[in-house]
Amino acid sequence: MELMPQALLDGIMLGAVYIIIAIAFSLVYGVMHVIDFAVGEWIMLGAFTGFHLTTWTRVDPFLLLPVVFILFAGLGYLIQPLLQRVISGHTGNPLLMGLVFTFGLSLMFRGLAQTLFGFYSHSIPSHFSTGSFFFQRGDFFLTVSTVRLAGLIYAGVITAALHYLLKYSDFGLGVRALAQHKEAAGLMGVNNKRTSASIYAVYTGTSAMTGVLIGTILSVSAKMGPEYTIFAFFVVVLAGMGYLAGVPAAALLLGIIQSVFLVYLDPGYTLLAVFALLYLILLVSPTGLFRKGV
Amino acid sequence: MAPVSKDRRLLGAAVVCAALFCVPLVLHDTFFLRVLTEALMWIGLALSFDVLAGYTGYLNFGHSAFFGIGAYTTALLMMKAHWPFPLALLAGAVAAAAGALLIGLPTLRLRGAYFAIATWALARAIQQFALVSSFTGGPDGMRLTAYLNPQYFYFVMLAVTGGTFFGLWFLLERAPFGLKLKAVREDQESAKALGLNPTWLKLQAMVLAALPTALLGGVFAYWVTFIDPSSTLGDLVSDQALVMVVFGGMGTLIGPVLGAVLMFAFKTLFWAYLSAYEVLYIIILGAVIALSVVFLPDGALGFVLRRRRTRRQAPGADPAPAGPGLAPSEKEA
Repeated sequence: MELMPQALLDGIMLGAVYIIIAIAFSLVYGVMHVIDFAVGEWIMLGAFTGFHLTTWTRVDPFLLLPVVFILFAGLGYLIQPLLQRVISGHTGNPLLMGLVFTFGLSLMFRGLAQTLFGFYSHSIPSHFSTGSFFFQRGDFFLTVSTVRLAGLIYAGVITAALHYLLKYSDFGLGVRALAQHKEAAGLMGVNNKRTSASIYAVYTGTSAMTGVLIGTILSVSAKMGPEYTIFAFFVVVLAGMGYLAGVPAAALLLGIIQSVFLVYLDPGYTLLAVFALLYLILLVSPTGLFRKGV
Repeated sequence: MAPVSKDRRLLGAAVVCAALFCVPLVLHDTFFLRVLTEALMWIGLALSFDVLAGYTGYLNFGHSAFFGIGAYTTALLMMKAHWPFPLALLAGAVAAAAGALLIGLPTLRLRGAYFAIATWALARAIQQFALVSSFTGGPDGMRLTAYLNPQYFYFVMLAVTGGTFFGLWFLLERAPFGLKLKAVREDQESAKALGLNPTWLKLQAMVLAALPTALLGGVFAYWVTFIDPSSTLGDLVSDQALVMVVFGGMGTLIGPVLGAVLMFAFKTLFWAYLSAYEVLYIIILGAVIALSVVFLPDGALGFVLRRRRTRRQAPGADPAPAGPGLAPSEKEA
């Protein structure tokens, strides 16, 4: 059992990164009622952009985070009007079509990434990735890798920033109004199209930035996308759909499951375990761990 | 739409089926027969995908799971237990139906978009299970004893796909079951108020989609004599069925057939001439999905029907009624 505290700590520091993914993911759902199937692909593209920018400019990936954010927020802002057009259509089933649209996007992104970046998996080099702190007292010891600690700090900063944006800015007020009642918000002068595009941009930018971080902590490959889409979804369902306060606990649980499997069991079974848990939770309590979801 | 024109359309489908039945009698080219057999399989897959996607409004990205369960059950029973092919095939369908009940019970509680990702994740979990288990042969897959009779497989595939088409036509277009499903799709709460049981209906629809898919999977396994997790349980099976249904037209029976024929022709040509650019195929699939959703929300069939309607409609005349299954739905439950 000497490895248990280590596995728990690593899991918590990894889970912190998943919190960010899940929060951005639920934000878009709250405003546009569309689940973005391409969330894993935004993470993957961000990670590759970070990797190539770092090897090209030789600047530390942590300093490049704002650049990646701006690039992908711009891309998201440009793509969102197409999605808006699909979900505000009048024939068929617009929301289902929106989902199909993001699914098409995810296939395209995955294919493009395999063409442009190849099939190999990389790791983003950072000054933080070598260092670590070491604690020992008798038999009990812990290693805190600096890069995972940096991930934890990043997660804290981004959560605080998103919280400020949503709760204390005019933009955030508009977003919350739209999530509650679209027509009424429009009558109060909230520009639906522009606010939706901006929140989508915030989401794509944040996801891509988080991708860079995942690339420094774990690795980057063109096939990593689907796994993170499933993780994001797992966290949101476990937390209870639409219940943001449940997200941290669910994300930390996912991180712990992942690192415990890595240490004690076969990592090949991680996805199976994640799904088995999800299946049981849906069967027992479809509204999430805290029974607070919709 | 008047029942007369529906019956005429059914007659058309019967004529097409009869013509397809006669093909191997005049055509002896094995390669061409192989292509036709695979085309029939994709038509069947697209049709069964549409039961949940078009009629019930639930996107099942785990469609490949049923295909794989059918293929693996048939292969295992034939190779390990030495069952005859027809029995093994039926056992595969039963296994998939049981699987549909098990999968559907928790996942159908999720609303539209969440259901899509849940089934997708589940299909990946099943694929991973087949990869790590030893009785399925793991990543090496399974071999079946070859039965080299292309005509036999053509007729079996035609029987399964034709049976699927006419069975679905009867259940979804003729019997009240189709209307009940559409009621659940349009507004679940109102359907409940009308005395329908949405959960039970959705489960039935899922089993109805699973049965033909598993049969096709079983025939596929015996036909190509080799199956592995990525060819039967992989994402590409569901992805291609989705493209065919979306591109052809959701919520109809003719739409998926049209989409399957067009997309399969494209796929065959692509692999014949551009197989060196393998990755390009996924990019094109994604682009077709995204673009047809933006520009052809009713699919190719809806586009053709609308063109014909506007052309027939003289200025000042009454607006023509909407085509079957293309009625607008304003909101999703």
